[in-house]
Amino acid sequence: MTDQSTTNASKSAQGVRAGSMMLALTPWCIAAVALLVLPFIFTANSAITIMNQMAITIIFALAYNMLLGQGGMLSFGHAVYAGVGGFACMHIINNDAFFSQLPLPLLPIFGGLFGMGLAMIVGSFSTRKAGTVFAMISLGVGELIAACSVIIVAFFGGEEGISGDRTYGLPFLGVEFLQQIEVYYLIAVWLMLSAALMYLYSRTPLGRMANAVRDNPERAEFLGYSARWVRFYSFVASGFFAGIAGALFAINYEILTEENLNTTQSGIILLVTFLGGVGFFFGPILGAIVFTLVQTVLSLQTELWGFYLGIVFVVTVMFFPGGLAGLIMMHVPAMRLGKLSVLALPYLRTLGAGFVGCLGAAALIEMVFHVRHASVGDHEMTVYWTTFDSHTVLPWVLAIAATVVGFWIARATAPSLAAAWSEANTADGGQP
Amino acid sequence: MTPALELADLRKSFGKTEIIRGVDLSIGKGERHAVIGPNGAGKSTLFNLITGRFPQSGGSITLHGTDLAGKAPFEINRMGLSRSFQITNIFPKMTVFENVRCSLLWSLGYRYNFWSMVGRSRALTEGAEEILEQINLTARRDLPAGVLSYAEQRALEIGITIAGGADVIMLDEPTAGMSHSETDYIVDLIRTVTTGKTLVMVEHDMGVVFGLADQISVLVYGEIIATGTPEAVRANPKVQEAYLGAALEDH
Repeated sequence: MTDQSTTNASKSAQGVRAGSMMLALTPWCIAAVALLVLPFIFTANSAITIMNQMAITIIFALAYNMLLGQGGMLSFGHAVYAGVGGFACMHIINNDAFFSQLPLPLLPIFGGLFGMGLAMIVGSFSTRKAGTVFAMISLGVGELIAACSVIIVAFFGGEEGISGDRTYGLPFLGVEFLQQIEVYYLIAVWLMLSAALMYLYSRTPLGRMANAVRDNPERAEFLGYSARWVRFYSFVASGFFAGIAGALFAINYEILTEENLNTTQSGIILLVTFLGGVGFFFGPILGAIVFTLVQTVLSLQTELWGFYLGIVFVVTVMFFPGGLAGLIMMHVPAMRLGKLSVLALPYLRTLGAGFVGCLGAAALIEMVFHVRHASVGDHEMTVYWTTFDSHTVLPWVLAIAATVVGFWIARATAPSLAAAWSEANTADGGQP
Repeated sequence: MTPALELADLRKSFGKTEIIRGVDLSIGKGERHAVIGPNGAGKSTLFNLITGRFPQSGGSITLHGTDLAGKAPFEINRMGLSRSFQITNIFPKMTVFENVRCSLLWSLGYRYNFWSMVGRSRALTEGAEEILEQINLTARRDLPAGVLSYAEQRALEIGITIAGGADVIMLDEPTAGMSHSETDYIVDLIRTVTTGKTLVMVEHDMGVVFGLADQISVLVYGEIIATGTPEAVRANPKVQEAYLGAALEDH
């Protein structure tokens, strides 16, 4: 949140400014290079599908965090702005006369504009108050528009949704976007562009005032800003980028259904953003990456992935309200003191044991689930790449032992971890 | 010359209870005016009426000759009136520097701008640093405002209040809850930063009032019973009877 790009030492100001500029650009360069080379590392089609999904979720989560993290507005219905942007793009794709003149990479602009248009309408009355009123209106509007999907069939296509063919667009530099990889790079460019724009937005006067209104709307009003208009602009900007995410979804999957609008989808984006951490710009990015991996990879391994995700979410809310980003940034003071290494061994002991405990508990859950729900006579199950008979004693003993011993060691070593933590955050010489 | 701030027969009721019962007051440009009165006299309510936090029930408030009726706080602020609060009202999660910078944004014409970077504006950075210098918080620049000491937060609050360049400054009990040395410090600070501006303040500490104000109004049960120079107010028998007796003996 702090702005490091200014300094009061006028002589070295220019040098420091240039230096901090370089430092500020580094993560962006790394991200750009990573986006460029990732498809060469993960060449499988399924991997590219996952990465596309991930990038779309990142844009959506960042847009959502413009509201939740930057503006302090909790929305329970943000999927509608992405969804409506996506539906609008599907209709553009299906309008042959117009679409054949439009290069596909420009389509997300229209998605953004439609998301923004809807956000302007809804925001005009929902942003008057923050807090519960805003949350309730967002939920109501979300339900209302989701319900419209079976009422306004012409636009939302009823239960089948709307599908189309992205390849009918005007070829862009000879590319027709037949292949997943071409779509990947289209999405990657939009990801970089949207993320950069959203980041820069947070540095503008309006972006700063969004923070101010979040923290203390009354004070902001006595500084000349209407809290309501500041919220409205954040809402509209967020709607725009959500619409872009929706458009990219339309391009990637070539179909939109009611599922893209409903409250489940809105809930997921809230979960993703919170899991990643609302307090830092990169939080939602982490959240989107982790969530997409869990959703795609873990869901192949177990039917219960939603259950585990729920546990992780509850634990995050209760113990790590800063999310993953908060967890990482917690270590910055220790890193500055050069004492991160103090934590290595205690972490290995406590978290390693805790991890074993979690694995044991997960195995137990899977075994209980299998015993209760597998068809009669099906005693064979596979957990952690090991196939065994779930009706014998040994696997249960092992799982229970791992759970109990793992959690017990974690608990027993927790005080020494706490001690190491305070040691790592204390400068040598005693001053904290 | 039009007065900076003029109240005419100002009234405010909450339900059936009338808190402000017809206040007439005229505060000239460049005047330092203190409103004093016993607890529950309606001083804070008067402040909240003037700054648009509550709507008035009757009468009028004019700022530089413009009627403020129906104006929202942000509109009144844009007309050149700024206030501080009795309970510290800052942006606790933002840095001290950013607190001040945010309070400069509107007055430097940034409005709802979303295309320029605040970090690149020299006027913003230098303006904010100048204010920090004035309120002696330069060393605290990059700390979250919420971790400052109470007196520092009060100083920051005054900094935020004056930063926008308003020419009418209203301070609601700026020294409430402070030690003697802190009070002296804040009084000096107020005197410096409000030079050439119109100052209206509510204050309990008589030392502060008599040290800072050119004019004092005494508010008792929603009515002003006396207005005048500190000496005149001190000598006013009505004031002594109603309120000051005990307090004046200490000074």
